[in-house]
Amino acid sequence: MIIIGEKINGSIPSVAKAIAEKDADFIKNLAIAQTQAGATYIDVCASVEDSIELEVMKWLIDLVQQVSDLPIAVDSPNAKTCVEAMAYCNKPGLINSVSGEGDKMDIVFPKIAETKWDVVALLNGNKGIPKTAADRLEVFNEIMDKAKQYNIAPERFHIDPLVEMLCTAEDGISVVNEVISTIKKEYPTIHITGAISNISFNLPVRKLVNQAFLVLAMNAGLDSAILDPLNRDMMGMMYATEACLGKDYYCINYITAYRENKFGPVK
Amino acid sequence: MSKIEELAQAIEYGKLKEVPDLVNAALEEGNEPIEILNKGMVDAMSIVGDKFMKNEIFVPEMLIAARAMQAGVEVLKPKLAGEAGATIGKCIIGTVAGDLHDIGKNLVGMMIESTGIEVIDLGVDVTSDKFIETIKANPDCNIVALSALLTTTLEALKGTIVAIKEAGLRDKVKIMVGGAPVTQAFADEVGADGYAKDAAGAALVAKDLIA
Repeated sequence: MIIIGEKINGSIPSVAKAIAEKDADFIKNLAIAQTQAGATYIDVCASVEDSIELEVMKWLIDLVQQVSDLPIAVDSPNAKTCVEAMAYCNKPGLINSVSGEGDKMDIVFPKIAETKWDVVALLNGNKGIPKTAADRLEVFNEIMDKAKQYNIAPERFHIDPLVEMLCTAEDGISVVNEVISTIKKEYPTIHITGAISNISFNLPVRKLVNQAFLVLAMNAGLDSAILDPLNRDMMGMMYATEACLGKDYYCINYITAYRENKFGPVK
Repeated sequence: MSKIEELAQAIEYGKLKEVPDLVNAALEEGNEPIEILNKGMVDAMSIVGDKFMKNEIFVPEMLIAARAMQAGVEVLKPKLAGEAGATIGKCIIGTVAGDLHDIGKNLVGMMIESTGIEVIDLGVDVTSDKFIETIKANPDCNIVALSALLTTTLEALKGTIVAIKEAGLRDKVKIMVGGAPVTQAFADEVGADGYAKDAAGAALVAKDLIA
């Protein structure tokens, strides 16, 4: 399972405050904690005004790289920012994200084609967030057509089927389920990711909903996730699910993660 | 319990299937359509909004209540046509250009509608030209509600307000703003007349702006 650690994001009030006050230690601590907790990437999202976004991105990325060797997930709704922030990174990371919307793919794909960077691709197009699985898969096919043009292999993609809040969904997670299984059947090596906690907005005891969703989505084929690796219950559930799905030989990863104090009673 | 009271309770608890029959039963009891609307539906929804703001109920409960009211309004609409006071105002709502999010905006639209305000929903990725065109086509419109879910589209939200001003329409309408990255401070900065952090709050703000 690939864990994209979500904690350094300017849309989180405490992080916004640290950015505004240039509190370097706060950011560094988030990077260290997520690294120790078992993140694969450290996501960095400034979530500030356009005019200062790049400068803040650089500040954040520099701080993370001072304390962690993990690759960075450069996160901005602005594709140009993602591409420009690649230069601040010591090693290839993850672009978060492109979608079928506008010219995002045309901005990002040529810049990553000849590199080892991976990319998150959201399945929304120009007409909004597609309501049906068929419409999301249509956007997916457009993305893969474009990927072929630039010769970017499927395994470099983390497809985000778009996790929306359960409380306003007509039919649970059936759309996401269908999208994930269809894609995985066609492209077994592609990664499927998602912002797990989106599922539980506006519901009580969100962690239960998050965990239920994680298990079901992993069962459908999700193998990457944007989440808080410091959430021990979530991490434990993830390791347990991998073992149940037969992706953890004799539960060794589960046992090792337990021994490394990644979940269970705090040692 | 009178049929109007039963209707109000069915709306409050989101019992959509019972609502059309209760509206008809209330009409048969001899109640005026406008009274059924106000006492049986609008008042019930204001209780729902109030409970939501006190954290007594959750978003899905508010959503099914609003849907139940919509089902009731559909039955009542032909009887209300042309009746004075059937709507208390008109609001144009949309997610600004470059932004495709609509779940929150839809909920806000429903809650504003539940106060008796007519809502014209322009959908997502709405250009400032489209807003201006719609304001011009609806001279009786009192409120324009702008939604943005991304930090990158806050600029488009600001731009829409500027464009409405430049089109000479700023004095004709009240403007309210909302969405995840929108704050009261931002609303003040862009010169909006109203801001709310959730759909129930938005309904109250809309009512205040019209009063």
